[in-house]
Amino acid sequence: MWNKDMSGCPGPSGPQPGASSRRDFLRHAGGGFGLLALASLLDADSLLAASPPISAAASPANLLHQRPPHFSARARNVIFLFMSGGPSHVDLFDPKPDLIRLAGQPIPESFGTFKTRRNVAKNKLLPPLRPFRAHGQSGIEVSDFFPNIASCVDDLCVLRGCHGDSVTHPESVYLMNTGSILMGRASLGAWATYGLGTENQNLPSFVVLPDPAGWPKGGAPAWGNGYLPATFQGTLLRGGASPILDLNTPRGISPGQQRATVEFINKLNRSQLRPGDETSELAARIAAYELAFRMQSCAPDIVDLAHESEATRRLYGMDNKTTAEFGARCLLARRLTEAGVRFVQVYCGDTNGWDGHSRMEENHSRLCAQSDLPIAGLLKDLKARGLLDSTLVIWGGEFGRMPMSEGSDGRDHNPHGFCMWLAGGGIKGGQVIGATDAVGLRAAEEKTHVHDIHATILHLLGFDHERLTFRHNGRDERLTDVAGNVISKALG
Amino acid sequence: MLTGLASASLQPAAPASPQQLIRRVSLDLTGLPPTPADIDAFVKDRSPDALERLIDRLLASSHYGERWARHWLDLVRYAESDGFEHDALRPHSWRYRDYVIRAFNDDKPYDRFIEEQLAGDELWPDEPDAIIATAFNLLGPDMVDSADQIQRRLNTLNDAVDTTASVFLGLTLGCARCHNHKFEPFTQQDYYSLQAFYASARFERELPVPSPAQRAAHDAAMISYREKAGSTQSQLDALEAPHRVRVHEQKLASLSEDARLAHRTPKEKRTMEQEGTVQETAPSLKISEGELADALAPAERSRRKELIDILKKISKPAALPTTMALQTVPGKHAKTFVLTRGDYNNPAEEAPPGFPAILSGASNRVAPASVMPQRATLARWIASADNPLTARVMVNRIWQHHFGRGLVTTPSDFGVRGARPANAALLDWLAVQFAKQGWSVKAMHKLMLMSATYQQSTTPRPESLVRDPENILFSRQNRVRLEGEAIRDSLLAISGRLNPSMGGPPVAPSFASDSTGGSKTGSQILKGADPTRRSIYILARRNLRFPFLEVFDAPDNNLTCPERGHGTTAPQSLTLLNSDEVMDAARATAQRLLTESLSVEARIHRAFRLIIGRGPTSQEMSITQDFLKSSDDSLAEAPPRATGGAKKKTLSSTDSAAAWTELCRALFNLNAFVYVE
Repeated sequence: MWNKDMSGCPGPSGPQPGASSRRDFLRHAGGGFGLLALASLLDADSLLAASPPISAAASPANLLHQRPPHFSARARNVIFLFMSGGPSHVDLFDPKPDLIRLAGQPIPESFGTFKTRRNVAKNKLLPPLRPFRAHGQSGIEVSDFFPNIASCVDDLCVLRGCHGDSVTHPESVYLMNTGSILMGRASLGAWATYGLGTENQNLPSFVVLPDPAGWPKGGAPAWGNGYLPATFQGTLLRGGASPILDLNTPRGISPGQQRATVEFINKLNRSQLRPGDETSELAARIAAYELAFRMQSCAPDIVDLAHESEATRRLYGMDNKTTAEFGARCLLARRLTEAGVRFVQVYCGDTNGWDGHSRMEENHSRLCAQSDLPIAGLLKDLKARGLLDSTLVIWGGEFGRMPMSEGSDGRDHNPHGFCMWLAGGGIKGGQVIGATDAVGLRAAEEKTHVHDIHATILHLLGFDHERLTFRHNGRDERLTDVAGNVISKALG
Repeated sequence: MLTGLASASLQPAAPASPQQLIRRVSLDLTGLPPTPADIDAFVKDRSPDALERLIDRLLASSHYGERWARHWLDLVRYAESDGFEHDALRPHSWRYRDYVIRAFNDDKPYDRFIEEQLAGDELWPDEPDAIIATAFNLLGPDMVDSADQIQRRLNTLNDAVDTTASVFLGLTLGCARCHNHKFEPFTQQDYYSLQAFYASARFERELPVPSPAQRAAHDAAMISYREKAGSTQSQLDALEAPHRVRVHEQKLASLSEDARLAHRTPKEKRTMEQEGTVQETAPSLKISEGELADALAPAERSRRKELIDILKKISKPAALPTTMALQTVPGKHAKTFVLTRGDYNNPAEEAPPGFPAILSGASNRVAPASVMPQRATLARWIASADNPLTARVMVNRIWQHHFGRGLVTTPSDFGVRGARPANAALLDWLAVQFAKQGWSVKAMHKLMLMSATYQQSTTPRPESLVRDPENILFSRQNRVRLEGEAIRDSLLAISGRLNPSMGGPPVAPSFASDSTGGSKTGSQILKGADPTRRSIYILARRNLRFPFLEVFDAPDNNLTCPERGHGTTAPQSLTLLNSDEVMDAARATAQRLLTESLSVEARIHRAFRLIIGRGPTSQEMSITQDFLKSSDDSLAEAPPRATGGAKKKTLSSTDSAAAWTELCRALFNLNAFVYVE
């Protein structure tokens, strides 16, 4: 039956089902958001010891057998700021004096041959677009493109030796998101949700905030569930009155009527249960309707940024035309995190995004201006609220860019060496790990493949990436396939 | 089955009621619910062969093929676009979908069905359906503009071999691509020997497949067209040609030296790398209508328009039917090598075509050369009653869809890591029957559906809940949730709006922009397509699934999907509560109810029978009457636009369209609608 706070919206610190009723609650929770929450609600002990692998067709009852993290997690939440299109490491976070020195010349022959997307290998080296300066206690160098992020540099662990496997966008978007350049594997957010469940009863556990100007190249499979149950896929959330598909009651039906209809549905469904059905999908569906109704009232509240103070809105640049849109989504990411959404992915850049094949100056000036202040605002806000310790923030795109020019003023894709950074959530900030070669072509020292970054993210969430597996057609699939080493130096 | 139950001292469950049985059989075989008239006729029919006649009627319905083709399309990762960045539409893949529907409706013997899909082009080169069938091998995602065309071909080969092994043999061979299989007795040599059967295959994306009659008619029409249009066309060509050449040269100049050279090399003389470069850069050389127009002088432009206008008035013969397909390159025997760690830069020893040693005996593993074309040899070996896996895997899949779970619960993994069969003797017996009955899938349905095990109620006996809680012994029938397609098709059928026309290009009903906003793919959804065709005809894009189906676990079609998820989620509830699909169905169903002059009780009774296949209990009747009354009051206060045009003054629970719509909306949310008992 409905209880009086059923339509209330418990925030992160709001009421959770009391300890005494947890098991009852679990039994009735309806799959998806509800069921997955169980791992975090229940003492993990008895459930997890010898739980069978969840199958693709797991019934809700099976989904109850959530795996706990393998060990104590440093990060409870993840915010992945995905710079779609491939931002240029040599212009942003990876200073290359030699690139200034050699500008205008072809890359020395000693660099050997390498794959490019657009046959730029013999073109002239293009100097960095902005000067770099040391910032903070750590003295990490950041280019003048990012004055605000630079002010947070002591919280960042900058990975300068990243590398991937493909020179094309979709393959690299899939690699960064799913650990494979092929389509249809499970995404990082889906894995995190599969492993951990959600803390939240009213919202999905893996939320994607696409850039309203366009999706990344490769599209929805970037946040897909792949072979994992569909429950684990990313849910698109948009601003405005209808943030989730079919969230709104049909036109002309009042909230009161909607509630009466849901009660009627559940009354009939309950009356049709038979002995033995208490733990069945049918019972789970009853709870799912209660959850759905709660989502209807909560989700619009969460996306309503009007609740935020003027100071907070300014912190994210919402008072400025250039930064307002991305700032709003960064702020939304914080609100979702606060409300217990496990994994939030925020895309920056339309379908072309940071893909500066030509006119890099214009392209990167625009996107840096859009994102610099909001990202810094997010880091500062998380820190001020005490959330940064438990929230892992990731910044990066699908690859970096080439040191030589394309045309006269662009840069081609570069998966051989690029830059990402991690902050919060168990990361030791104020340090640089890895380096590219003299001009930024290839990762050269303390190299970190995408699989290593994935292994590290899972580690921070409490998982041994080799043991977080899912049996699909006879193979124990992993996010990291057969590779991946945790970047232990990154851990705080 | 009875032996299994007896060993646990269990009895089978009671038989399902006739009402339950007809709903179950109808949805199982056609994906559509029985009408109240069907139910009445079946319940009243006491003759011993009533069920058999019902099964025969449903198997003869063309809706049967639409239902069972969907199961097959899940297995073969069927989609109608390429995926990756551009997700370009594949305008001809629907021919494969229609082929599968026809194959099920015609009860094409399963061995022939296999042979056509693996080697139809080699075995029956004159039969369009046999060519279309080979699209099976090419249905996976494909990065057409890959920077590495050798890898692209290898990806397709890997995908074809992995899918073949998984779908037909229930084997997980993919692991042996990079190393000898860790758990199964397959070596890397086995993997590449299997792949070697495909080595000479050319991948056709647009191959015409006319019947002889179509070919003749088309040729004749072309002759007549050329007579009428020939001179105009040549004038147009002559006018455009120099400009096309010039623009082409300009575009070519912007490419790298390597790419220019590749394009200038005649196709047959290009190296693999050059061909790759050509494929990759071809899109950037396309001359758009606008570019051509810009290149012309004003006088030429207007002359060109005149010529085009003349041509437009002469009707052009319709294009020949076209398909994706495999074709064997005659006389070309490409060699296959074991690739160390799956990397084509690291070839090891040669792998001649051959079957996995464990399945064929070491001495037989190499396929006899030159007896038959290569893929046909593979096809015949798989589609053989002697193959220990083929028949078992397929009967298990049929069982899976009738019982909610296979006898082997890992339907595409019959290897050592797969599940043991719940009843090995039964699986073997069914497999033998299957081959004996000419590989007839329809005969297999009938055999299973006529069994007492199938006809059990889903209600367990108290002791089977204790001794067989997971229903491993099939001590009752499993209750199964309908797939999204069956839910949506039922909404259309019950509300009287189902357009039953079959086949043809996919339809793309528009859907809420929330789900597509900003996506390139989303902007290409066609507006105004008929939203009342069966769900199997909905455009299956890789990068954007149809939301209603996606929320109910439709697979993403990038990898073979042997079993769909059937989780229960809050977004499913939101979809059934709030989506246009359900609201439209609720409105139309209410209209249906209101066209008949009935008492409130009789109307409620009819609503239940239409939507959940049975009348209400007395308790349900009274709850429903209360709900109707209160909804009527609540909806009467709402603005008139919301109530479907019902007029305020006449509102009462007997004729308020809004209240009846609300009731129908609620009934479409019942477990009894979404689940099959």
